[in-house]
Amino acid sequence: MNALAGSNATLSARATPRGNADGVRLRVEQASYAYAATERSAPKFTLGPVSLEGRERELIAILGPNASGKSTLLKLLAGVLKPLSGRVEVDGEEVSELEARTRAQRIALVAQESELLFPLRVWEYVLQGRYPYGKRLRFESDEDCLLAGNALAQVGADALRDRWMDQLSGGEKQRVILARALAQQPSLLLLDEPTQHLDIGGKVELLRRLRKLADEHRYTVVVVTHELNLAAEFSDRIALMHNGKCIRIGSPAEVYDREALQQVFEAPLEVEMRSSGRPRVILGGTQ
Amino acid sequence: MTLARIVWICAALAAILFVEGVVSLQIGAYHMSARDIVVTLFQGAAGRWDEMPGDFKSVIFGLRLPRIALGILVGAALSTAGAGFQALLRNPLADPYVLGVSSGAALGTILSMILTPHTAGAMQAAAFVGAFATVAVVYFLGRRGGQLDSATLLLAGIVAASFLSAVIMFLMTTVSGRDLRGMAFWLMGDLQSDPRVDLRWLYFLLIVGIGCIFTTSSDLNLILTGEQEARHLGVNVNRVKLVVYISASLLTGLAVSVSGAIGYVGLLVPHVMRMLFGTDYRLLIPTSAIGGAIAIVLADTLARTVVAPSELPVGAMTAIAGAPVFIYLMRRRMR
Amino acid sequence: MRETFLAGFLRLKMPGVIVGALLGCAPHPGALAAGLTQQQATASQAQDPARTADKAGTKMVTDETGRRVAVPVNVQRVVSLAPNLTETVYALGLEDKLAGDTTYCDTPAAAKNKPHVGAPVNPSLEAIVALHPDLVLATAINRWETVESLERLGIAVYTMDPHTVQDMLESTALLGDLMGAHEQAASLVAKLQTTLEELQTSLRERPLVHVLFVVWEDPLITIGQNTFIADALRWAGAESVIISKQDWPQISMEEVLRLEPEYIVLTSNHSETDTADQVRDLRARAVWNEIEAVKLGRIVVIAEEITRPSPGLVQAIVELAHGLHPEIFGPAQKSSGPEKQSRKSMAVGLVACAR
Repeated sequence: MNALAGSNATLSARATPRGNADGVRLRVEQASYAYAATERSAPKFTLGPVSLEGRERELIAILGPNASGKSTLLKLLAGVLKPLSGRVEVDGEEVSELEARTRAQRIALVAQESELLFPLRVWEYVLQGRYPYGKRLRFESDEDCLLAGNALAQVGADALRDRWMDQLSGGEKQRVILARALAQQPSLLLLDEPTQHLDIGGKVELLRRLRKLADEHRYTVVVVTHELNLAAEFSDRIALMHNGKCIRIGSPAEVYDREALQQVFEAPLEVEMRSSGRPRVILGGTQ
Repeated sequence: MTLARIVWICAALAAILFVEGVVSLQIGAYHMSARDIVVTLFQGAAGRWDEMPGDFKSVIFGLRLPRIALGILVGAALSTAGAGFQALLRNPLADPYVLGVSSGAALGTILSMILTPHTAGAMQAAAFVGAFATVAVVYFLGRRGGQLDSATLLLAGIVAASFLSAVIMFLMTTVSGRDLRGMAFWLMGDLQSDPRVDLRWLYFLLIVGIGCIFTTSSDLNLILTGEQEARHLGVNVNRVKLVVYISASLLTGLAVSVSGAIGYVGLLVPHVMRMLFGTDYRLLIPTSAIGGAIAIVLADTLARTVVAPSELPVGAMTAIAGAPVFIYLMRRRMR
Repeated sequence: MRETFLAGFLRLKMPGVIVGALLGCAPHPGALAAGLTQQQATASQAQDPARTADKAGTKMVTDETGRRVAVPVNVQRVVSLAPNLTETVYALGLEDKLAGDTTYCDTPAAAKNKPHVGAPVNPSLEAIVALHPDLVLATAINRWETVESLERLGIAVYTMDPHTVQDMLESTALLGDLMGAHEQAASLVAKLQTTLEELQTSLRERPLVHVLFVVWEDPLITIGQNTFIADALRWAGAESVIISKQDWPQISMEEVLRLEPEYIVLTSNHSETDTADQVRDLRARAVWNEIEAVKLGRIVVIAEEITRPSPGLVQAIVELAHGLHPEIFGPAQKSSGPEKQSRKSMAVGLVACAR
């Protein structure tokens, strides 16, 4: 593989420290949010209260139909929105109160796409992930280069290092975007519907990679998705959202209940248990 | 990207600028041999003004050097402002004129020409006021949901530019023949007019403006890959936008107050520098500055030789040369 | 390793340092007053000792725009920045002292052979310096910036700005004084004065003919009452139908139709054939051929000299008067005196529009 394989350890997610003896990295306690009400109408949408926990090496999927509050929840996790009540903590610190650069050192929000204005090389793009560290006007140090290289290795994209961003395929670009997020050395990786533009092969590959990152490199990964079966296959815990409330949370087998799914998705869904212990959702017969 | 790389490339460009300046010093209707020029320069450096023939002093220190110095100032200011606006608006076609900033500066300068023609520093001050006032208005018009929105900003800028141009035209109809002629000529870009302010002050402002934008170059690199992503990486996007906008306006006001409206430089020089050296703003800002200086000194030298003994306004020269280059670049992008 | 921001910022100053070195060649702001520092418009400029031809020095005069200028007592070399000044210099017989003129100076024809410094609006300052003039002559068509730049270089610039025909005569006398040709100027002015007075006598008690003076046809631009040309018209026994404070008012054809001028006055393009064509074109043009004056063929094409405050103006006024008052002066005659192409064509023009 690559000469840097031995130093992969330096880019693993931080060991949970900072007062979380029970290993809980992400703690959401009764967090709620409402989009600002205008003078004339009530708040259009309210989220929560929601509680959930995430530990290292966990992949959590947030599932639900459109307008169920998934993206809002993710924004709360990212610290982009400040909860109206309750707390969102990462490594023991309230995320919305962190300074932006410090927050970026803890949490990486992975973009879906990258709308580049000017041509950029993959290497330069990934190096940008080091921005939260050091001074604002900075030049890459050796450490930066090492970490960026590691990030590329972790997503299996070393070979893409010198390529131009706009010449990459969809899947390759996904990996590079992921690498930039990893270069931030985050504890928490957040992804908002990352599989939207990918074909089935790409979807599986991405989830596999996320799983590997969680397992081998100890990240906590939170993925917002529509994909019922992929979530069931790859995640440790699932939070099922409906109308701004988290109605079920637990392992896939616990959460995938036929009535619950049918109520939430308003579709004739059936659940099958597979031998692996993970459920599979299939479309039931038409009535 | 390392600091060493930036320094080497800038040094190379500065060397080109130096050579260009030396060549430009030798060009002009008054024939001076290279030897005469060098001797005159040394005499000047040593302070031996009395030994210098009056003509030489006039031509070198009164005419050619000031033009070159002003040309460098204007070129550096406009190109850096252009690079800044392009990042700010996420639009490679942006330049100081698009946002109406230079029209505001021109209006300010023309008002000061009419009302306070002999006050030192009035033109610069009026240009800054014009530029900043335009910035403020366009900034407020260009907001959507409390944040600067690039598309709305662009639109507001275009409207402001045309409105201000109309006001300038109206003002010029109220002015009588001789002043009108002077203004019309100045508006086209004139490096010979006396800025009425010590050149050292102007250069100080240039360094300040370029320096401010340079400090945000890492931020700009990130913003160019997406504003939301930049925010998530910890960039204070609104603050960066404000700093760049104000600095770029300062630079535009500086250039316009000194030499009127010179176009295409802010648009094309950053583009060419990008093609040569890549899009990293840590390199693009300094190279645009020096590249702009090279471009304007070249344009000015051509402007005074192409139709000798008459002289074209520099703005006309940059337009004549710039438009074909622009078309060529556009077609390359299409392919 | 990481570089500090300050180091990077200092490096950025490198181009500034180079320029600073160039600028550093001028450690004394006072010494560089010529090029780089602020100048008041009315500041007196110390005459560069190397330039004055005659060491006897200079005298301070106030020129016609109110500036104080240090003019050499003994003027040997003069550069003219306007065609009418060139003409005046030739009329005074001082063409030997004319070191250079503009590319537009073509009257008289010999002026075309003088070294050129460029167009009046943007002459080459270096070309002017290269000619070593003692004095540069300018008018209102030259820009302030040009005059100021020359002053900063230590070259005396005297600006003429006559507003009336009488002013022009005084300017001519003044120019003669400046250039040390007092007697020639006095006699020229006296001759011109006499011509004008004779004309006045002939035109005594005639009402002023109402004319439309066409500066430009499309858009239609005519003259205002404060212009030089308006004054010249009055001397020729005419006045413009348009009364305007603006110098070059743009008017509509409707206004012309309403006011019905008695004559249309055009300026010639300086070539024989063109004049006849000019008149023909005008008579054939739509809307224009509705005007009574055009229908009756009362179109006078006059030499360009009428627009310029130079000695040739007087002759142009005389010919215009002849054209506008045929009842006094009889039908157009071939003019005697120095044959100018424009006058020939003017005669042709009058013939062409015979009613």
